[in-house]
Order: sequence, then C-alpha cells, then structure tokens
Amino acid sequence: MTSAIATYDLCKTYPVVERPWWKPGKPLRAAPAVDGLSLRIPAGQVTGLLGLNGAGKTTTIRMLATLLRPTSGRATVDDLDLVKDAREVRRRINMIAGGERMVYARLTARENLWYFGQLYDVPKAQLKARIAELLALVGLEHATDQRVERYSKGMRQRLSIARGLINRPAYLLLDEPTLGLDAPIARDLRAVVAELARDGVGVLLTSHYLAEVEQLCADIFVIAAGRLVARGTPAELTALAERRHTVEVTLAAPVDDVDHAVGTLAMRTGAQLTTGVDDELRPRYTLRHSADLAGELATTIVTAGGAITRLEVTPPTLEDAVIALADAAPEPSVVGS
Amino acid sequence: MRHALRVIGAEAFKQHRRIFGGPLVVFSMLIWPVLQLATTYYTMLPLLETPGIGQRWPVAAEPVRLLAFLAAGAFAYMFYFSLVQSAWHFSFERISGTMELLFLSPASRFALVLANGTGALVQNTWLAGCFAVAAASASGSLHVAHPGMYAVAALALVIPAVVWGTFLNSLLLFSRDSAFLYTLLDDPLWFVAGVRLPLFAMPFAIKAIGLAFPLTSSLAVLRGALLDAESLSGVAGPLGLLGILCLLLVAGTAALLRIGEARAQRTGSMQLY
Repeated sequence: MTSAIATYDLCKTYPVVERPWWKPGKPLRAAPAVDGLSLRIPAGQVTGLLGLNGAGKTTTIRMLATLLRPTSGRATVDDLDLVKDAREVRRRINMIAGGERMVYARLTARENLWYFGQLYDVPKAQLKARIAELLALVGLEHATDQRVERYSKGMRQRLSIARGLINRPAYLLLDEPTLGLDAPIARDLRAVVAELARDGVGVLLTSHYLAEVEQLCADIFVIAAGRLVARGTPAELTALAERRHTVEVTLAAPVDDVDHAVGTLAMRTGAQLTTGVDDELRPRYTLRHSADLAGELATTIVTAGGAITRLEVTPPTLEDAVIALADAAPEPSVVGS
Repeated sequence: MRHALRVIGAEAFKQHRRIFGGPLVVFSMLIWPVLQLATTYYTMLPLLETPGIGQRWPVAAEPVRLLAFLAAGAFAYMFYFSLVQSAWHFSFERISGTMELLFLSPASRFALVLANGTGALVQNTWLAGCFAVAAASASGSLHVAHPGMYAVAALALVIPAVVWGTFLNSLLLFSRDSAFLYTLLDDPLWFVAGVRLPLFAMPFAIKAIGLAFPLTSSLAVLRGALLDAESLSGVAGPLGLLGILCLLLVAGTAALLRIGEARAQRTGSMQLY
C-alpha cells in the first residue's frame, strides 16, 4: 500500500452557466479550474501547494476532501479511490479552512467536538479524552463550556482546528488555516502542524503567508491556471527565481572607469544591470542575478576608483519565485525529486 | 447501523441545543396553532345552527366534537409543519458554512437528514403534545375502539411525519431557492389536507392533491382511531396509503440525496449561498 495522497492528471471544470432544469443537457460554458494536475502528498510530511489567487488551490483541496468531484483524472488516498471509496477516504482525511464559520455557534466547544466525534465515529471510550486533549492543544481549556457565539474570531478558528483533528486524520488538508489569526496563534498552529507531520500525518498546506510555507514544507507544488508549473523544496524553488538576487550600490561621485567596469561585469556574468541616480543625484548601479554578486561588484567598483556610500543586497524569496513562475508559461517545470 | 445511530443521537442533540425552548418554537408550535384553532372554531361555530348539518356532517352536531375534530387537525398539522420549519432551518447550514462539514464526514447522509427531522419533531412538538393529551383527556372527547388504537394513531402520525421531514430536509439542503416551500406548505397544506374541513366537502381536484400529502391520511387515521372509535380495519385505507406514501418519500429522499450531493460535487454549489 502507498501511504500518500496521489493525483493523476486531475482536472476540474466548473459548469459556469447551467441550463435551466427544464432544458437538460450539457453546460453552456465551462471554465477549467484544475487542469491535469499530478501531485503526491506523502504521509509524515508537510507539502505546500502555492499559486496566486484563482490558481486552483482551493479547488484541488476540495476535490481531495471529496467535496468536489474531478471532471477527469484520478486521485487516491492510501490507494483508495477518491470517488469510488469516498466514505473510507473521508475517515482518513480532514480539512481545515481559514475563517471561523466551520463550527456551530450555539454549541459549546466541547459539544461541537463531541458532535463531530460522533459523525466521525470516534470510539466512545476515546472521545472524551480526545476532546480534552484537543482543547488543550488549541488553548481553549478555559472556555470549553462557553457557547461558541461568545468566542473571538481567533478562538473560533482554534476550535475549527481542533475539529479538523477530531478523527486523528492520516491526512490533513489545510486551506489558508492561519487566515486572520494573530501572530502568536498562527505560530502555535505552525508548531501543531509540524508536530502532526512528525507524528506521521500527511499535510497539504496552502497559504498566502509564504514564510509559513517556507518554514513548514519539505516539498512544494506551484500551480498556475490549474496546472503544475514547478515542484521542489523551498530552496530549489527560490533558486528558480532568476535574477532575483538584487545588489544595489550608490557611489559618492560619478567615475567613468566604474561605469565601464560594472558594464563589463554584468556582461561577463549575464546579470541584469540598471543604472540611475539617487535623490542627491549620486550614481546608482543595480545588478540582478541568480547568484549574489555583492562582493564582486564592490571589488570592481573600488578597483576602478569608485567610492561606495551605500550597498544593499536583497536575496530572492519564495514569493519572488511563485510570482515569477505564475507569470511564466504554463509548461511544467519540475525540479527536485 | 451503530454509526448511523450515533449520528442520529448527535444530530438530535444538536437540534436540542439549537432550538429547544426558543421563543420561535413556543410561538409557532403552540401559541400560534392554538390561536388558529380558536379562530377556526369560532368561525365555524355559527354553522352548527344550519338546519340538517348534523346529517351531512355528524361532527358538526355537537360543539365538543367539532372542537375535537379541529384540534386533531391542528395538532397533526403542527407535527408536519414543525418539519417544514426544521428543514428550512437545516437549509441555513449552507449559509453558516457547516453544511460542507457534514458532507466532509463519513456520516450517512440519510441518517443525518432523518435525525434532523426526528430531533426537530421531538423538540418542537413535545409541549403541544402534552397540551393536546391533557386537553383530550379532560374534555372526554376521545372515543377509541381498542387501547391498541392509541398506538396506531400515534404511529400513523409520527412515522409519516418523520419521513416527510426527512424528504423535506433532503430537498431544501441542496436547493438555494426552495424557501417558497415554507409558504406553500403552510396555509395551502392546512387547506388541502382537511385540517379545518372534512375531506368529503372538498372538490375532487383538491381531494386528489390532498391525498398526495401524508398529513391527509395521518389525519384520517388520527380522527378515525381517536374520535370515531374506528377499528384497525376501519382505518386500513388511509394506513395503506400512508405506507405507500412513506415508501415513495423514502425512495425520493434517497434519490434526492444522491442527486443533490453529486450535483453539488459537480458544480461546487455546496459552499454557495
């Protein structure tokens, strides 16, 4: 048995305009949201799914949660077919989405968890202890018997996280789980997610907080327009952001030899060179390259007789990579294993 | 089966915490029906003076019997309408965002809608049920052929009502535009099911429409068994029709759940509201 969620050429097309019920037939128009996606989310690891808005992240997660049916392609959870074995798949997965709507406001935290424990058929002998354990995990022990309608947004989201763990899912689908959470609570959640992965849970995470993804994910899939455009570790993906190492140097005064030397350096290394002046009309050189050229640039300028007044290096980020990849052609660019 | 029972218990508990003792329930399920009953009774009371009405409609010969007839109608109607209300409430789960959590879980969908209807029925009607039993006992208006007919009447009311509620839940759960049913199944149902008037007084078309609703046959059994001392064979007709309607409604529920969930999975409408 393969301990993983796997998708094979997964596609989802929403019928955008449907015929009225008295005119049965195919939808009049369709928009592909996910287009031939093949992913692997192994157990015991946090896997990231990144992309800009509308890339198809939520649709993918909702398909894996069995809330949406793929138009074509296939997905399995531990070799169970997502469509044919949906009921058994649902026992093994759970989903937590951002926002605080996913609990019952008129029930207390304990009652909410008890209710969902019943729906997931958590053994009676374990349910009470499981509820106490989860409430402690999300820091709601002090408000267990308070109606959720009295909770703050953060408390509701924490309860929603506890709900998502009630069935000890083998795979957890996290769709923007820290959306709207305060920094300390988001940090605690990241610790919980990391701990779950260490305990063998397979986690699929989408988030707009890329630092969060960088910190947690061993493997990241980047999608654009529903298609896979890159895959790799955070470092591998960051390296894909070509010419994103930015070195900016400001000189005390213009020197002709420096102009020539920096131009030669840019040509030799293939860096992108931009020249200009700052607010005080002092010459400024900006070099963009996949490698950090700060040292080489400084040496070149000083050797050519220039006096550096300011030097700033901006390393590439995962965000640069995601934006660059999303902007690029939709042909898959797979790196890493 | 064991899991389904746990789902039913959990859903009933949720209903209890959400609606038990709420002013809406007290007003819509007790005070409002009692006021409607009083209005109907005092509207019809002058008709008792009509010469010869007792021959055409024996119930109208005595005010107590007329009141018992109308009260039985109001009580049975309340059972059914409580389920319309419950289904309407259930459809709000789509808006509150909890509906997809139900469908994310491995719980039996049928058990969920069944439990929601059953839970609502108990929560909504226990108060009026106690009131009705006390009123019927005190007024001495009950005429029962055999003690077993109490059970027949109770089952003929409760089982079809639960099945009706299950069907409505499955209908409203997947449809964003079925709120009109709340209105359609209020006064029009009261009329076509013979809550206020005996079915024989209705035109054929209304009678035919009325017989398509289980409330009509439930009422016929309830009144026959508890007010007219009918035996089991005397209410066999409406009981048989109730059985057929229940089977159709169960089949309809199963189909609606299957079609509704498949459609929601195809269109992504589970999160739309």
